[in-house]
Amino acid sequence: MKSNHQTKPRARKQGLVVQALPDETLVYDLDRDRAHCLNQTASLVWGRCDGRTTTKEIAHALTKSMKQPVNEQIVWLALDQLDRNHLLSEESFIPKTVAGMNRREVVRALGLTAAIAIPAVVSIVAPLPAQAATCLGQGQPCSSSPQCCSNLCSGGFCNSP
Amino acid sequence: MSVRASNAALISRVLSGSWRSNANPAIAVSIRELDAVTPLVYDSGAAGLGWWRIRDTALAQTPSGELLHQAFRFLALQARIHETRIQRVLVSLRTAGIEPILIKGWSIARLYPQPGLRPYGDIDLLVRPEEHLAAARIAAADEFRDCLIDFHPGAFEVADRSIDDLLSRSQLVQCGDEEVRVLGNEDHFALLAIHLLKHGAWRPLWLCDLGLLLESMSSEFDWELCLGKNSCRSNWILSAVGLAHALLNASINDETISGRANAPAWLVASVLKNWEAPFAAAQAPHRHRAPIKSYFRRPRGFISDLTRRWPDPILATISANGTFGRRRRIRYQIQNCVQRAARLGLRDIQPA
Repeated sequence: MKSNHQTKPRARKQGLVVQALPDETLVYDLDRDRAHCLNQTASLVWGRCDGRTTTKEIAHALTKSMKQPVNEQIVWLALDQLDRNHLLSEESFIPKTVAGMNRREVVRALGLTAAIAIPAVVSIVAPLPAQAATCLGQGQPCSSSPQCCSNLCSGGFCNSP
Repeated sequence: MSVRASNAALISRVLSGSWRSNANPAIAVSIRELDAVTPLVYDSGAAGLGWWRIRDTALAQTPSGELLHQAFRFLALQARIHETRIQRVLVSLRTAGIEPILIKGWSIARLYPQPGLRPYGDIDLLVRPEEHLAAARIAAADEFRDCLIDFHPGAFEVADRSIDDLLSRSQLVQCGDEEVRVLGNEDHFALLAIHLLKHGAWRPLWLCDLGLLLESMSSEFDWELCLGKNSCRSNWILSAVGLAHALLNASINDETISGRANAPAWLVASVLKNWEAPFAAAQAPHRHRAPIKSYFRRPRGFISDLTRRWPDPILATISANGTFGRRRRIRYQIQNCVQRAARLGLRDIQPA
């Protein structure tokens, strides 16, 4: 087994829809039909999981981009969460001091004050919001022609042109 | 007309200027008011914009704020999924030599400051009438089962312009790896303004679209081209501009237009009335309980359902090719009823 320092995690690419936003990254898992939200720290870690960069190098890169010292354990915590949510392509080796610990325990273990946000990957759960469908399809009830996609309301129903 | 404007007034306050990148004007809504308005903006498709308005305020931390945030995230992901679908559809159509114009949906959503603010479901494509059948055949393929594609061989909203003119003024814009043909700015505005009115302006999001376009248009924008040569349609477009200004505080930069863009009081009141329940199910014809013919056999409930069928004054004006003036709408509403009754009668006497 490789040591932790030699682990080069790789982000999963297939079967995902990714939408980057200014403060977070949204990921939709097409295989599992689940949506996730990665906070900024988790996004930065995930973005550097290219299969060539070690966890130590990722921590260095984060330190640079966040202008705050970033402990390697933070990277491991992010990897743990990414792995649990099937966002890494290979099994990562999660140190026992991080795996299974909740965020509060990790914060305590790391002795963090609030220098950077603890990496978080959370599921997006909400009833499906309405979309903006407009004209009425064929066979749907109507009261005037302009309401129908076909522009033909006949006998109270939209007909084909 | 009695108008219970509380819900509508709240929607107006929450969505006022919601298309802007900055938080201007500052939102003045209490937590209780946000709780009341959230289901309305959520179910009318404006949840993303609702979130955008409150994102930098203490309201964002409330349960309603969190719900709007989650909706925004969902819609942002859906926007990305829709983009890939649009690209797939366009590649197939172009392979068959069909060059459609994408209207509504993505073509307006792309102009908002963030993906997910302006949701859409259908892929509406304007095609030449002679290409309609071939395009529909391509879209019926299994690979497009996940796409809601509507082909329009013409559109009521731009019926005063030829497809050749629309194509000549259209523009290509980038959607992922593909270029997408969309309407020219003037035609686009005309289409969205009339589309809003032909549906009774019940969805607040449609008025936000106009606010966005009004405030982002360049000095090159040709209003005369947008308004067209048909005086009735030009009145519709100007009335929609007046509505966006009156209800959502949209700025009109062109002085000539701001002087002409007036929404009569009855029109503003009608839209506010529709915003009291801004859901498709609450609007005609979905609010009808049963097809009118069913009452011929079982007349029970006919009278109460008949009152539900009294036409919305905005829809009646559009269906009668009327203008949005100050006069009462009763003549258009009666005309609409007569037209509908005649259509129903004609259908009955036609041989099967």
